[in-house]
Amino acid sequence: MRPVLRITERVVASARAGLTVRHRLMVALWSLVLALLAGCSGDDGASGPGLAPTLSGGDAGGFLQPGPDTGLRFPADFGPHPRYRVEWWYLTANLTTAEGEPLGVQWTQFRQGFRPRSPDQAPPPADQWPLEAAWMAHGAVSYQGQHRFEERLARGDVGSAGAVAEPFEVWLDDWQLQQVAPRRWHLTVRSRQAEPGFGYDLTLTLNRPPVPQGDHGFSAKSASGQGSMYFSLVDIRIEGTVTLDGKRLQVAGQGWFDREWSSQFLKQGQQGWDWFAQHLDDGDKLMAFRLRDAAEPFVSGTWIPAGGDPQPLTDAELTLTPLERRDGYPVRWRLQVPSEGVDIEVTAPPGRYVNDGRFPYWESPVRVSGNRAGVGYMELTGYGATDD
Amino acid sequence: MTERAPVLAAQGLTRAFASGHQTVSVLERLDLSLAAGQSLALIGRSGSGKSTLLNLLCGMDSADAGTITVLGERFEAGDGEPAHVRHRRWAALRRQRIGVVFQDANLMPALTLLQNVRLRAQLAGQPLAPCRDWLERLGLAAEADRYPDQVSGGQRQRAALAMSFAMTPALILADEPTGSLDRHTADEVATLLFDTLARSPAGARGTTGAALILATHDPELAARCDRIMDLGHRASAGRASTDTSS
Amino acid sequence: MTLTGALLSHYRRHPLQLAALALMILLATMLWSGVHQLTGQARDSLARAEQSLSGGREAVRSDGQPVTVDDFVRLRRAGVCVMPWLEVPDPDGPGRLVGIDPLAGQCLVSDSHSGRAPALDGDPFVDIHRAATVSAATPVDSPLHLIVGESPGPLPPGYESAPFQRGPDTGELGRSFLLNLDALGALVLMITALLLRAVYRLGQAQRETSFVLLARYGVPDRVIRRRLVLEILLLSALCIGPGVWAGSALARLLGNGFGASLEGLFDLPLYAGGTDWLTPALVMTAVVVLACVSDLLVPARCRAWLDRGGRSLWPGVILAAVGGAAVLVVSGLAATFAAVAVVFAGVGLLVPTVLSHLADRLAARGVDELRRWRWRELGVMARRLALPVVALQFTLALVLAVQALVASFEQTFEGWLDQRLAADWYLDVPAGADAGPAADWLAGQLAGVDGAAWHRIRRGSATVASIGADDGTRASHRLDLLAVAPIGPLLTRWHLLASADRPWDALARGDGVMINEQAARRFGWVIGDRLRLGEAAPGAATDGLPVLGVYADYGRPEGEVLVAGSRWPAGQTPSFEGFAIEPGTADIDRLIDGVTRRWGGEAPEVQENRAIRASANAVFQRTFVLTRAMTLLTLVLAGTALLVMGLVFITSRAWYFRLLRAWGLSGREVFSQLLRLCLGLTLGVALLALPLGIWLTWVLVGRINPEAFGWSLPMAVYPGFWLELLVLSALIGLGIAGLMRRSLAREATS
Repeated sequence: MRPVLRITERVVASARAGLTVRHRLMVALWSLVLALLAGCSGDDGASGPGLAPTLSGGDAGGFLQPGPDTGLRFPADFGPHPRYRVEWWYLTANLTTAEGEPLGVQWTQFRQGFRPRSPDQAPPPADQWPLEAAWMAHGAVSYQGQHRFEERLARGDVGSAGAVAEPFEVWLDDWQLQQVAPRRWHLTVRSRQAEPGFGYDLTLTLNRPPVPQGDHGFSAKSASGQGSMYFSLVDIRIEGTVTLDGKRLQVAGQGWFDREWSSQFLKQGQQGWDWFAQHLDDGDKLMAFRLRDAAEPFVSGTWIPAGGDPQPLTDAELTLTPLERRDGYPVRWRLQVPSEGVDIEVTAPPGRYVNDGRFPYWESPVRVSGNRAGVGYMELTGYGATDD
Repeated sequence: MTERAPVLAAQGLTRAFASGHQTVSVLERLDLSLAAGQSLALIGRSGSGKSTLLNLLCGMDSADAGTITVLGERFEAGDGEPAHVRHRRWAALRRQRIGVVFQDANLMPALTLLQNVRLRAQLAGQPLAPCRDWLERLGLAAEADRYPDQVSGGQRQRAALAMSFAMTPALILADEPTGSLDRHTADEVATLLFDTLARSPAGARGTTGAALILATHDPELAARCDRIMDLGHRASAGRASTDTSS
Repeated sequence: MTLTGALLSHYRRHPLQLAALALMILLATMLWSGVHQLTGQARDSLARAEQSLSGGREAVRSDGQPVTVDDFVRLRRAGVCVMPWLEVPDPDGPGRLVGIDPLAGQCLVSDSHSGRAPALDGDPFVDIHRAATVSAATPVDSPLHLIVGESPGPLPPGYESAPFQRGPDTGELGRSFLLNLDALGALVLMITALLLRAVYRLGQAQRETSFVLLARYGVPDRVIRRRLVLEILLLSALCIGPGVWAGSALARLLGNGFGASLEGLFDLPLYAGGTDWLTPALVMTAVVVLACVSDLLVPARCRAWLDRGGRSLWPGVILAAVGGAAVLVVSGLAATFAAVAVVFAGVGLLVPTVLSHLADRLAARGVDELRRWRWRELGVMARRLALPVVALQFTLALVLAVQALVASFEQTFEGWLDQRLAADWYLDVPAGADAGPAADWLAGQLAGVDGAAWHRIRRGSATVASIGADDGTRASHRLDLLAVAPIGPLLTRWHLLASADRPWDALARGDGVMINEQAARRFGWVIGDRLRLGEAAPGAATDGLPVLGVYADYGRPEGEVLVAGSRWPAGQTPSFEGFAIEPGTADIDRLIDGVTRRWGGEAPEVQENRAIRASANAVFQRTFVLTRAMTLLTLVLAGTALLVMGLVFITSRAWYFRLLRAWGLSGREVFSQLLRLCLGLTLGVALLALPLGIWLTWVLVGRINPEAFGWSLPMAVYPGFWLELLVLSALIGLGIAGLMRRSLAREATS
């Protein structure tokens, strides 16, 4: 599970955003964007009681709600799902430079629908500048304890941002992930500012078919049945260049790609989540997440053996224990899957890996130690408010 | 005193005013007659109808009933004469033959004393040349070119008398002409009034001098008149008369 | 009875006075705050338009075509940070809305190195979808702009960056126009302050005895004064709120026309804005308090001095002379207005004194004693009614001047339209059609036809640079380009403000250009200056074309260059193309049909001269609607005040009219005296207003108009309108006399 964003109304009006449109319509829309991108009503009520009904009201506004029967369809599910409220395309990559230094790359593109639309319905004309969906892209590079991040926004249906299932392409402005050959994608991201700036041109080779998460792709997010459609590409060979402050670095490594969509992720009261995707040395993969609640957290995951079928992990089969905090974020964890004999420690490298956009969250590469070794990514959301 | 033709005769004069829901009768069936050159003092407490009677006698107000014959013109209440015709007849009388003197404010404030006198004389169709003489006769030679607010109250009243004499009236109606003056000044004005009245020319119209009706609270002033009518005691109205030779 | 009750009992006995005070405060607030709101809003819009994107640039297509949403996508996908900007009329009120895409605009903020992020905050900015929806619903085309950051870097091929500008640089003109209106507003405020003061002082004079009585009862003077200040504050509070509300209603009512005028005349958008309550409320309270109770603050000694000064002619003469001289020598609008204000102040001091002196002089001359009395009475009236008399005079002068301005404008405009719309029929060539063959065909058809004339019109824009004496090219400007061929009688009828010898022949030969007055004024170009059209071909020597004539081009801000058809830049697609046809004895339907067939069937838009004229006139009606509304409302205000004042004055003189009756004047004669007095006063005021009004007309036309609008007008006077004003003044006089008669009649019966 990959969503990240935690709403704070403070951010909506923050001066940092600079561009606040006080028009009432826009405030309403923005609140909605922020709330729904977060998929969460927050833990402190700061998100505004006005939004809570929308969030807890199931498929309010005519959006569909996924369930265990929804099922996955390829390649269509690589494309957008305008009948669902929220979705994202999410790539994390654990790379190494020619000098052998580890380097982490993240690219994510979110779609937030404001109005559901069936796939056979024509999109509104672009010259009307429709506001039926908004897009947001995040790009980040983590290298030598430094974390660089940029956020992009665009409205949907105009053409500057979008996604197509076949031939696969997801784009926002000049950032794009697109299929260049069968089982081969290309990702281009370039920050606007040259200094301190970053960019990457990466070629992705897909080595394994999509892995459905949860129950045939339906990933429950609470005991009461909320959840999302979720599948992953867990074995991606990546090569290319990363540019940092104008310096080009040759990189190679492995990546993890998630597709997830839903109209509601969290039930009210859930505060945030901790998410892990681990590449273990022998080719096994582990995805684990924990949704924090005032009471009992909801824990779930998938064990993906190198050569076998994915095994959904329930609360009883998976333990996540935070061990150490840095800047308010738990940066060292113990992950246990007793059934597979896995007992590992996951540690973020030194540094502060906060994506400092509209909704700050932690996104960092991690090192795996314990009874298995490996690398991976860790995402921690819902801690921001306790920082400030 | 020789009997002369009446300048003024009134019979059965009645005038009432509406006051709230009530009608207050001020004059009731009053008879009055005045010969040429004769003077009559109207006395009585405030509200006894002195001013009302003067207003009726100069046509500034109309009686509810009764007849007035003045200088040959006859006015009868309720005889069906159109109001504007009656007003015109009265206006012509006031303009040329009836001088009206009020307690004060008899002068146009924007005109000098002389200009006021000239205005009055011109309205009456009298020559303007004697106007300055009239002021002199009333002791206002030095004040002739002053404005009313530049002279004293007594001087203003004397100027008012000069205006009346300048029109050579047959009848002067004076409503408290000394009412706002101090004793001394009042005496002075009264003396001038009666002196001038006595020495006024026989008049172009062949009368023997102006008749005078005077409303006053001042017994001394009243005593200077040929007759006194006390409107407070209606019974004696028209009959009670004390002749004082002048 | 309490003290308050005792003080207020005056208004119980004179409710009309209270109503007049309240009505005047309300009306004055409405007028001034309405204007203040409009000009404030416009000025704010101007500042915002200039500052929100100062130094900002926009991306334009190199081929000159307008940008579309496709261009936006192309630029964004090329990594350029552009934000769409779509200005539309506000459907809910006056002004305009600016639609932007805040999502796309976010990069402008993060790109801004200087930290001067565009202030795209709040009104008038809305989401571009709303603007696009409005745009789709309005017939007016709203062009899209693509804003790039301050330093956008290289743009992809086919695009270039240009300074973000929605029109020619007419900011100064627009500002002058607003200053114009503000000055008018200030004058109205001054007039109403005079009137207010007059009515209030009158009431105070009537209350004087009760104040003395209260003082005798032991109420301290200072307590009474405090009550009076409180009383007027309370009245202000009660009236100013509704006044401001009515003012914003007035602003809304006039706003659309006003916005259209601003936009048409100065290319100055009027953005939607909120109502400013505080400023009008504070200003009006200050004005009311100053006008009414400033006496209580001024020491008695100063007041006595002022009163003495009021009887001398010299202060007024000196002020008027100094102001009049200043108008002649000062430059700049604000200074001119200040000088005008000084003249008004001088005249204001002078007029009551002059009127009363004049009346006294006439009184001294007469032999008719009754006439003498009338003149003297008139002199007293002029002194006692000084404030409303001066207010009425100012208002009449203002009305007269504004009328002259508007009328001379209309006349000039009418004549200009006659020249400009010489043909009976106008055909708009449909987009994409080739009008060349149609032109050839028309030439053949109309050759030799009696009374026929025609020409082909092409419009576009061109970069124009003047060439200095040293053959060096001066700064170039983007101007409208108008090409006409053939140069025929439809064109040569134009009246030129300045011209070279035989300008039309030279123009027809292509040996020169003509420019409109706007271009001539803005760039200081005169006859004989050489202009170069279009980009200079590298290395090619060009002498440029001489300016052959300057023509009037009212009602729009753009500079324009007129050339012969042969000078139309090769390869440039006109933004508009059409024909002007005077068919003479030929059949217009057949001509239209033939022309249509020449370009393959799509019918042209055909417009009759009359329709164009009507729409042009409609545009200009709007230009002065605000000015006219203000002056007329002020006139009503001044007339009403004089009516109220005259009534009270004459009531105070009622006794003397009674005296006239006692002296034998009939009721009719007394009324005739009254009537003559009132007419004498108002007509005298009107007559004295004439020279002031004519002088003000000259100031407006000769000094202020060129600065405020960018074009000049011939000065004209309209004696017919003077007569109308005199009749109006007479009516006001009749009104006073009529009301007086009733009040005298009441006096007589009581």
